[in-house]
Amino acid sequence: MNNDLLKARLNLHAVLRNLEDLPALDARAAEMIRAWRMAVCFSVHGGPAATLEFSDGRCRHYAACPPHPDVKLFFLSPAHLNAMFAGASSPLPLKGLSKLGFLKHEFAELTRRLQYFLRPEPERLAEPAYLRAHTLLTLLTGVFAVRHLVELDPVAAQLAAATPAGSLQFVVDSEGPVAHLVYGSNGVESRKGALDRPAARMWFADWPAAYRVLSGKLDAFTATGKGLLRLDGTIPLIDNTSLIMERAAGYLA
Amino acid sequence: MQTFEYPQSRRLFDRACEVIPGGIYGHFSPAPLGQTAAFPFFAARAEGARFQDVDGNEFIDYMCAYGPMILGYANRVVDDAFRKQLALADAASIASPKMVELAELLVDRVAAADWAFFAKNGADVTSYAVTIARAATGRRTLVAIQGGYHGTHPWMQAPGHHGIAEDDHRHCIRIPWNDVAALERVVAEHEGGIAGFIATPYHHPTFQDNALPAEGYWRSVETLLRKHGIVFILDDVRCGFRLHRGGSNERYGFTPDLVCFCKALANGYPIAALVGTDALRTVTANVFHTGSYWFSAAPMAAAIATLQELERLDAPSLLDACGRKLNDGLVRIAKSHGFTLRVTGEPCMAYYRITDDESQMLHQRWCAECTRRGAYFTPHHNWFVSTAHSDADLQRTWDIADDAFRALKATA
Repeated sequence: MNNDLLKARLNLHAVLRNLEDLPALDARAAEMIRAWRMAVCFSVHGGPAATLEFSDGRCRHYAACPPHPDVKLFFLSPAHLNAMFAGASSPLPLKGLSKLGFLKHEFAELTRRLQYFLRPEPERLAEPAYLRAHTLLTLLTGVFAVRHLVELDPVAAQLAAATPAGSLQFVVDSEGPVAHLVYGSNGVESRKGALDRPAARMWFADWPAAYRVLSGKLDAFTATGKGLLRLDGTIPLIDNTSLIMERAAGYLA
Repeated sequence: MQTFEYPQSRRLFDRACEVIPGGIYGHFSPAPLGQTAAFPFFAARAEGARFQDVDGNEFIDYMCAYGPMILGYANRVVDDAFRKQLALADAASIASPKMVELAELLVDRVAAADWAFFAKNGADVTSYAVTIARAATGRRTLVAIQGGYHGTHPWMQAPGHHGIAEDDHRHCIRIPWNDVAALERVVAEHEGGIAGFIATPYHHPTFQDNALPAEGYWRSVETLLRKHGIVFILDDVRCGFRLHRGGSNERYGFTPDLVCFCKALANGYPIAALVGTDALRTVTANVFHTGSYWFSAAPMAAAIATLQELERLDAPSLLDACGRKLNDGLVRIAKSHGFTLRVTGEPCMAYYRITDDESQMLHQRWCAECTRRGAYFTPHHNWFVSTAHSDADLQRTWDIADDAFRALKATA
């Protein structure tokens, strides 16, 4: 198995994708991108590609490069891209050389803002808004990692093969439906928001409960018994998805 | 109809979480119940077909301790035998005569048995059977059924589960139930490499409809295994003595080499048994397997009493009749409310599913509504009836089911 390829796909499509949601969670990030109008493409030789399109104070993530991005960052290999995410390498800019300063400063500041929320210091978690932002981004990272894990991680593939077709909705009781997964004949699709008639639901009582379960500080058995987590519908969908999502940490650690 | 609350159960669970990982572990964990809030977590006492939780709520029990209870809780005959032996000797430094008596009884009762071996749990004997098969054949591969459950030892757990290494199931091949062609293919692909085939008498996985053996399935399997020298292991842990007095293979007309018993063997007292044919006697003697409590004599006395009571009552016939009656009533009541309740598997330990909602949320809600009214129904495991379930219990259960369906419709 090519771990670098899977890790690159997770970095691009599960981690970087969070920049879509960050501005809604963080006023500083929202202010930073407010006037940005550009498409930044990440392209890996023989590997995955993704684009972040900034406009109207929003960021949209696409799993491909458009024909004419404003900035195109090229990577010689998945390992090269992963090294950049680890702060140990730089991309090769193929297009948008005039924006190098922007990339080095403003864009880098935005990604540091994302890291600020994804890698929490314990004391920050006492702040409810921070905890909510961290937990939501963690959950979305896991949800959007599933497809890539199922395609490239052999154990996740076996788990997915044993997973009944259907949809799984993640709900935080205090907030409503957050994201969902659909297992179908064409693999797994990850989406944000609500779903009509899901086959299974994973309900967290609130964001602190979701944080504790997703961070591994509280096991699902205890959480369920205490009413902090409720699993209903097609339980094997939930069981197997949880095991698949947990595997993401092994690649992104 | 009054519905139950569980404040003491919840308080106890909070205490449990402080000192026990997960609060309640294994198959008793509330996690997969769906509507967890509707279920009690801790039992205070049990008698006959009923148990009372720590909040004083009484339930007609259709899980029967997930199988061990077959003659009713606190059965006087079995409990007296246990207590009598306990007063004489239970754990000692040498074996008990009760061990010999119980082995003789099993050899007499179970047609496939020329010898017996005792342990504590089903997984003790399923794992032992697999080791014996490997020792007997000099091969390492095991064939099992997809979704079949034979305990929690790593060799039978699915990949990706916590603490399970990829190597743990490398030598276990899973094939679909009732698929002789799949078994033929596997045997051909691994010619001379398969040590054993393990399966339950019929397919009773969790979370899906159960399936009886197709006509001629077991005959074809047995013929194929004999032809290729593959050890035939029957996991009769869950079904044993519920379907037939001599083991479930007699119910379906086939002869395995090894049969694993546990659950109903001693009506709740801890004991498991592996029985086998003469051909495997010597190799079994050579495969070392033991445990601290595997010689405890009191559970052996309880097992003898249980087997004798089951014989006296013709328990399989009673259980079958009780199961059919229960199921017919529940299906009829469901239909009267516009729902379809599908019942699969053997009547005395059937699997139930409301088919009007594929997600099973409706079924989970119905089980929850029944449980909080006093009929203990879990949604994704087969249920059990016992010889202690009376007509009055069934009538009360039907009344509860009726009210629960009414509640479902009211909240639809």
